[in-house]
Amino acid sequence: MSAQATSRSTRKLTDLLDSRFMARLDGLDVASRKILQGKLQGERRSKRRGQSVEFADHRPYVRGDDLRFVDWNIYGRLEQLFMKLFMEEQDLTVHVLLDVSGSMATGEPTKDLAARRLAAALSYVSLVNNNRVTLSAFCDGLTGQMPNMRGRIYLPQMAEFLLSAEADGPSDFDKACRQATATRQGSGVMIVISDFLLKEGYENALRQLISRNYELYVVQMLSPQERSPEISGDLRLLDCEDYDVAEITLNAALMKSYKRTLAGFCNSLRDFCTARGARYLPAVSSDPVEKLVLNSLRRLGLLQ
Amino acid sequence: MEWLAWETGLIATGITVPILVGMYFLKLKRREMLISSTFLWQRAVQDLQVNAPFQRLRKNLLLLIQLLILLLLLIALARPALVQPAAPAERYVLLIDRSASMNATDVAPSRLAEAKAQAKAFLESLGGESLISWGGRDIQAMVIAFDNHADVLCQFTSNRNQLNAAIDAITPSDGGSCLDEAVTVAQAFAQSPGDEANNRSAETPATMVLFSDGNISDRRSVVVPAGCMKFQAIGKSSDNTAVVAMQARRSYDQADEVDVFASLANYRDKAAVCDVQLSVDGKPRAVRQVTVPPVRLQDGKRTPGQLQVSFRMQQAAGGVVEVRQNQPDTLACDDTAWAVLPEPQSLRVLLVTSGNAPLLLALKACSLSKLDVMTPQKFDTGDFSQLKAAGAYDVIVLDGHAPKKLPQGCYLSFGPPPGQAAATSGGTIKNQAMIDWRQQHPVLQFVNMTELFIANAHRLKLGRDAEILCELRDGPGMAVVRRKGSVFLLVAFDVLESNWPFEPGFVMFCQNAIRYLARNTERKRQNIQVGEAISLQLPAGIKAKLTTPGTKPRTITADAGGVVRIPATSLAGVYRVNTDRQQYDFAVNILDPAESDIRPADEIEFSGQSVAARKTAAGQSNRELWPYLVAAVLFLVCLEWLVYKQKLKV
Repeated sequence: MSAQATSRSTRKLTDLLDSRFMARLDGLDVASRKILQGKLQGERRSKRRGQSVEFADHRPYVRGDDLRFVDWNIYGRLEQLFMKLFMEEQDLTVHVLLDVSGSMATGEPTKDLAARRLAAALSYVSLVNNNRVTLSAFCDGLTGQMPNMRGRIYLPQMAEFLLSAEADGPSDFDKACRQATATRQGSGVMIVISDFLLKEGYENALRQLISRNYELYVVQMLSPQERSPEISGDLRLLDCEDYDVAEITLNAALMKSYKRTLAGFCNSLRDFCTARGARYLPAVSSDPVEKLVLNSLRRLGLLQ
Repeated sequence: MEWLAWETGLIATGITVPILVGMYFLKLKRREMLISSTFLWQRAVQDLQVNAPFQRLRKNLLLLIQLLILLLLLIALARPALVQPAAPAERYVLLIDRSASMNATDVAPSRLAEAKAQAKAFLESLGGESLISWGGRDIQAMVIAFDNHADVLCQFTSNRNQLNAAIDAITPSDGGSCLDEAVTVAQAFAQSPGDEANNRSAETPATMVLFSDGNISDRRSVVVPAGCMKFQAIGKSSDNTAVVAMQARRSYDQADEVDVFASLANYRDKAAVCDVQLSVDGKPRAVRQVTVPPVRLQDGKRTPGQLQVSFRMQQAAGGVVEVRQNQPDTLACDDTAWAVLPEPQSLRVLLVTSGNAPLLLALKACSLSKLDVMTPQKFDTGDFSQLKAAGAYDVIVLDGHAPKKLPQGCYLSFGPPPGQAAATSGGTIKNQAMIDWRQQHPVLQFVNMTELFIANAHRLKLGRDAEILCELRDGPGMAVVRRKGSVFLLVAFDVLESNWPFEPGFVMFCQNAIRYLARNTERKRQNIQVGEAISLQLPAGIKAKLTTPGTKPRTITADAGGVVRIPATSLAGVYRVNTDRQQYDFAVNILDPAESDIRPADEIEFSGQSVAARKTAAGQSNRELWPYLVAAVLFLVCLEWLVYKQKLKV
C-alpha cells in the first residue's frame, strides 16, 4: 500500500522534481536553529528533556516523576533516587507559504514554476523526515491550504496541491499572512516564497509572521527579465495584476534607474528580514532548483 | 544674397512648421507590454525625473534638430543665391540666334526653343524687380533676335514678364547668322540711358549673352569688348546633309532643254546615302541615289564632303524646279532648294535709226527673236499706246535720236540722251578715250575698251542716281538711269563717231546691253536668298494674291509706282504673286554652307578675341546655395539619428 502510494506520488511528483534530485534530497533534513516545542514526539531533539533514547542528564527524583525513568543502577549504589533525563525529540512544523498571484506567472521561465518546485523540494524533505508540513497558497488571501501533512504518505497530496494551484489574480499579502498565522499551530519553520512585488508593501505582513515562534525564511523569486529587462523603445507597460499602466521610453538612463531601484528594493527586503532575525534568500527563476536547495538553502542553514 | 523663389519658401514654411510642431504634441504610439508589476518602473521613472534634469532637454534636442533641418530645407526651397562679389554688369543684352541652323532638332524640340528656354532661365537667375533683392540691385535686360538682320524685341527693362514675352515672340527663320548688326544695335542701346535709366550712368557696361550654336558668318568682323560677351552654346550634333547650291538654266543650243545643277554637302563623320529628287512644279521628274562623302579633316579644319549632281530634262514652259535630298537629318529646312525656270527668252528689239549698218549688224548677231528697224520720224509719229499694246519690245535702241516723250520701257541710247532720262547733253567733247570702266558690270563683261577712240561725244549731265559705267576723259561715257519704271542705258557718243564698230567688244557690248535691259523688263531676280527683299513691277494699284511658305495667302496692292515689295523673306520656299493675268514665282533659298554646318562651336573667334562656349544651361551667374543647404540637412539627419539612437540606447 505504502509502496503503491509512493510510486503514484513519485509519478506525480516527477513533474516538479526529478528522481535523482529526490534521491539527493533524501539525505537532507530541515534544521531549526531554535529547539522548538512540537505537538507530538518527533525525531527532533528539543531543549526539553523528554522521552528519547539519547541520554542527556540526571536529576533528583521528585514526587510524581515517572518511575520508568528512575536510574536504578545509581539507586543500587547510592540508594538515592535519580531520574534519567533524555533528549526529547520533537516534531517540527514546516509551513510553506507560496505566492500564486498573477505576477508569479510572468517571466521566462515563470517564477511560479520555480517557486512550486522549490516548495515541492522543501515539502519533500520535510515529509520524508516526518516533519509536520503545512502548505499554503495565497494570492488575494489564502486560496488553498494542505495543513498538517506528515510522512511520505502525503507526497501525492502535496504534489497534487502544488500542481493544481493556478497563479492568477491580485495579491493581498497582508491578508494572507493574517490568515496563515491564524491557522498555524505550534511552532516551526515558515518559508515564504514570493516575488514581493507588492504595491501595498510587505513590511506589516512579514512582521506578523515573525512575531510568533516561527523561524522565518523569505525567498524572493524574481525572473531574469525582471532582474535585467531586455526591452527597449517607447512602451506602455501593463501591470498583469491590477492593469495599472506605466508609459516609458526606455533608454540607458531609465534602465540604469530601474536597476538601481530594483537593487534598492531587494536590499531593503533583506535588511528588513535580517533586522528581525529572519533569513532572506534572493532567487532567480532561471536558476536550477537543485542549486537553490542544495547550495543556497544549505548555506542559509535551513537544510542540513 | 537673393531669394529666387521666396514665395514658395514662405508657403512651405506656413504649412510644414506647424505640422512638425503639432506632431510633437501628438501622443506617441507606444508598444504595449504585460509585465509582473509596474511599481518598480514607476519608481524608476520618478527617480529619473527627479535626478535627471536634462531629460526634457534631450527630448527637445531632437525637436530642435528637426526644426533646424526643416528650416534649412525651407531656406533651400526659397533658392537663396549668392551674388558674386565682382558682380557682372547690371545690364544684359540677350542675343538670340534664330537663323536656319537654329531649326535643327538635335536638341528637342529645336535649338531655338532650347535657346529661348535657356534665355528665360538666365533671366530667372538674375532676379528682377519682383524679387526681394539685397543691396537694391536693379537688373535690366534687353532682347535681340538676329538672323541676317537684328530685331530688337524688347528694350532695356527690368520687367521680367515683358522680357519673357519678348523671348516667346521670337519666331524661327531660315536666314543666315550675322551678328554685327545685332552687336551694333546692342551697343547703341547700352550707351543710351533709356526710359528706365534710374539715374544709371550711360557707362554702365552691358554684358551681351549670346544664345547660339556658334555658326556666325561675320564673326571675324564683329568687334566685342573684352569680357562683355558670354556665349551659351546650343546644340550637340552635326548630323546634317544639305543642298548648298542649285541652278537651273536652259541650254544655249536648245531652249527646251534644261540643265539642273545641285551641290550636296554632308557634315556627318560618315558617308550619307541619300535620294535626290528633282521635281518641277511639285511633280517629281527624277530620283537619283547618291553617296555624299563624309567630313574631311584638313589641317585641323573640317571640310564637308561635297557632291555635285546634275540633271538634264526637257521643259519648254517655265516653272519652279525643286531639288530635294530625302535623307532624314536634324535640319530639314536646307534639304530642299528651288529655282525659278523662266520661259525661253525671246527678245524683241526695235532699232530706231536713220541708218547705222554696224549697229544693225551687231544687233542681228545677238540671236534675237525679232528685230524691227524704224526711222526716227516714223517712231515719233507712231502711237506709243499701240506700241505698248502690240506687246511692246523688250528693248528699244535709239541711235542718235532723243525724243522728248517715251513710253515706259528699256532703252539703249546712243548719242544725245532722251529727255525723259533726266539727263541732258552739255555740249560736245572731242577726241575722247575711255579712261575707266566697270568691268564687272553685266553690260561691260568681256568688253575691252582700251583701244576705243571717240571723235565726238556728248557731255552727259546726269542726275545723282545715275549709275556711271565708264568715264571718258572729260565726262561720263556710259550710264544707267532708271526713271518711272523705265531703264535707260545711255551711251554718250554715236558709234559711227568712234572706232568701236571695229572692236570685237562692240558686239559683246550690244549682246550684254540687250540682255541686261531685257532682264530689267523681265521679272527682276527670281532666285534670291533668305533675308533679301522681293520687289516686283506690276501695273499701279493692282491687287494680287501673295502666297508665302508657312503662311496663309494674303492680298497685296501695288503702290502708285506699280511696285510690290515683300520685305525680308524669312523662310525658304517658293513665294508666289498671282494677279488676274499672270503668276510670278520667286525661289527663296538658304543655300548657305555656313548655316548648314550645324556643328555647335566650342568657341567663337571674334575679331580680336575668342569667347569660349558654356555648354551647361544658362542661369548660373548667381551661385545658388541650395546644394550646400541640402548637404547640411544630410549631416543634420545623421546627427538626429545618432541622438535618437543615443536616447534609445539600453
